[in-house]
Amino acid sequence: MSAGAAEIVGAASPHVELRRVTKRYGSVTAISDLTLTVDKGSFTALLGPSGCGKSTLLRMIAGLEAITAGQCFIDGVDVSDLPPAKRRIAMVFQSYALYPHMTVRQNIAFSLSVAGQPKKVQNARALEVARVLQLESYLDRRPAELSGGQRQRVAIGRALVRKPEAFLFDEPLSNLDAKLRVQMRLELAKLHADLGTTMIYVTHDQTEAMTLADKIVVLDKGVISQVGSPLDLYNAPANKFVAAFIGSPGMNFFKVDIAAIDGKAASIVLPGGQKAEAPVRTDAADLRSAELGVRPEHLILVDPDDAAAVFGGAVRIVEHLGNSTLVYVDTAAGQLIVEGEGNLKVKSGETVGLKLNEEHAHLFGATGATL
Amino acid sequence: MSATVQRLEVTASPAAARLARLNRLDTVGLLITLVTLVGAIIWAFPLYWGLVTTFKHEYEIVRPGFQPWPEHFTFENYVHVLLQTKIGYWYINSLITSVAVTVLVVIMAASAGYAISQLDFPGRRFFWWMILGSFMVPIPALIVTHFIVISQLGLINTLAGVVGPQLIAPVTVIIYKQFFDSVPKDFREAAAMDGANDFQLLFRIYLPMNWGVTTALAIITFIGAWNLFLWPFLAVSSEDKMNITVGITQVHDNYGISYGRDLAVAMLAALPVAVVYLIFQRRVTQAIMLSAGIKG
Repeated sequence: MSAGAAEIVGAASPHVELRRVTKRYGSVTAISDLTLTVDKGSFTALLGPSGCGKSTLLRMIAGLEAITAGQCFIDGVDVSDLPPAKRRIAMVFQSYALYPHMTVRQNIAFSLSVAGQPKKVQNARALEVARVLQLESYLDRRPAELSGGQRQRVAIGRALVRKPEAFLFDEPLSNLDAKLRVQMRLELAKLHADLGTTMIYVTHDQTEAMTLADKIVVLDKGVISQVGSPLDLYNAPANKFVAAFIGSPGMNFFKVDIAAIDGKAASIVLPGGQKAEAPVRTDAADLRSAELGVRPEHLILVDPDDAAAVFGGAVRIVEHLGNSTLVYVDTAAGQLIVEGEGNLKVKSGETVGLKLNEEHAHLFGATGATL
Repeated sequence: MSATVQRLEVTASPAAARLARLNRLDTVGLLITLVTLVGAIIWAFPLYWGLVTTFKHEYEIVRPGFQPWPEHFTFENYVHVLLQTKIGYWYINSLITSVAVTVLVVIMAASAGYAISQLDFPGRRFFWWMILGSFMVPIPALIVTHFIVISQLGLINTLAGVVGPQLIAPVTVIIYKQFFDSVPKDFREAAAMDGANDFQLLFRIYLPMNWGVTTALAIITFIGAWNLFLWPFLAVSSEDKMNITVGITQVHDNYGISYGRDLAVAMLAALPVAVVYLIFQRRVTQAIMLSAGIKG
């Protein structure tokens, strides 16, 4: 769980390893001195906003982009200069890239066909894969005759038929509607559990990353911001970028003054003058101000006169989502989002108090790093 | 009551205006149709005249005056052409050279278009500009050069000599390049991940994905090669190696030109192209549009 370009080492045996890789396009650096290890059999998600370099990183592992500097290892073999087909990996593209003039069977068996495998072997393998993905009845159809979910399964089948060392997924669910995305997410998780093959998954959707991956790599402007399990990232973000990126609705941030700090907790003065405590891992006594981050579910609506209320304010908007309620409250710290229970009875314009769950508050320094 | 009448007038008035507009449109449409019809008659008349002439005796043909239908209907011209000339050879030669030109042009132009569109190699831009430049030079301007080259290669009076210069098809390369440029790169990358080499990419992914373009280009290339006259006329002097278009020049009798027989060969020469055109009408139009798009 270290930040920046520091070495990230997994506990299990490394399967895919990037050592100090850099990718430049002319004068633009897309990936900068990045080191990453992906464990064998793990499901690793590369997560970050558009333009953070996650797809570039995946394409470098695939061999579709040349590495400007550094090395890429797969199963201990330096594959930096090997063509994609010789890296024993398979990739599923965002657009599926199914050949429109071929049937599902021909699409799935394409890699075997170009390798000169006998027709009998091709058909047998295609059928085997189709069974795993429940595509047997669609084998003679063309991609245009399939639904989005079926096309996605064919794309996975095309990867599966090669029995690769690792699967690479480049935002494979982004072309599907919300309902189908949830369904395919479950199917991918099941596939990973069944196959136990290393999977590296690029997404900008934190829900996909959180639900599928056992390790998430958060990228920001071509460098690793944090690596960890989904809950690590959620509960203990290494910096403000990760804290803001993970979680929906996003974390609330506001400036606070630091009254005292002792290495485990900091006494802070909130906007409006109320005092509180927040956990810290630093004893830098000279710190006088910081930014406090609080997730919406760690702010609790209370009576405005409640002694535990650290903020008071007027409710601006209420969003009932069924299983939860989002309340936007104007306070001395700005507009804060509060997440309450689904049946929360609160109205727009009402004056409320907010209690802070101090245990889950995060303090960030001037550089954005967690204190 | 008066209100109802007024309302009826109000509603009737726009309807009447619409009707008047429709009448005007009908008149314009009628005029356009008439002009088109006259144009079609002017265009089709030589064809009709040629066809009718083949069924006339020679004395009827040369007789002064306008005779739109044969006085004495005869197949003599066709019988003579089919039995007394080497039309069989000419047909076969035309077929061989046209098919060869079509197959080779499609393969070579697709390969060149693919290379320029998809591969990264030194001189790629230079080749592209050269191809763009070459189609600005009219083929007849190069015909002497072609003759010298083919002659020095010893291919005069051979079918290979007839085919050779027809393989220069820059427009076809440009069309292919444009189509290959528009294929999303994910297909190429997916195939590369699957281990496909460039030949497999071209012949198993890019060409089949643009099959419509290939069909259209093949048809128009075939028709062009079949109809070509100038180059085969210069490259071949032996009657056995002539194409059908050149063979027409060999049909005459003791008194000189025989219009009926010449036109009979012309009709027989045009027959395969007419059949191809009728069957693949839409594809031919598509190909012409593609070429027109390039030529601007």
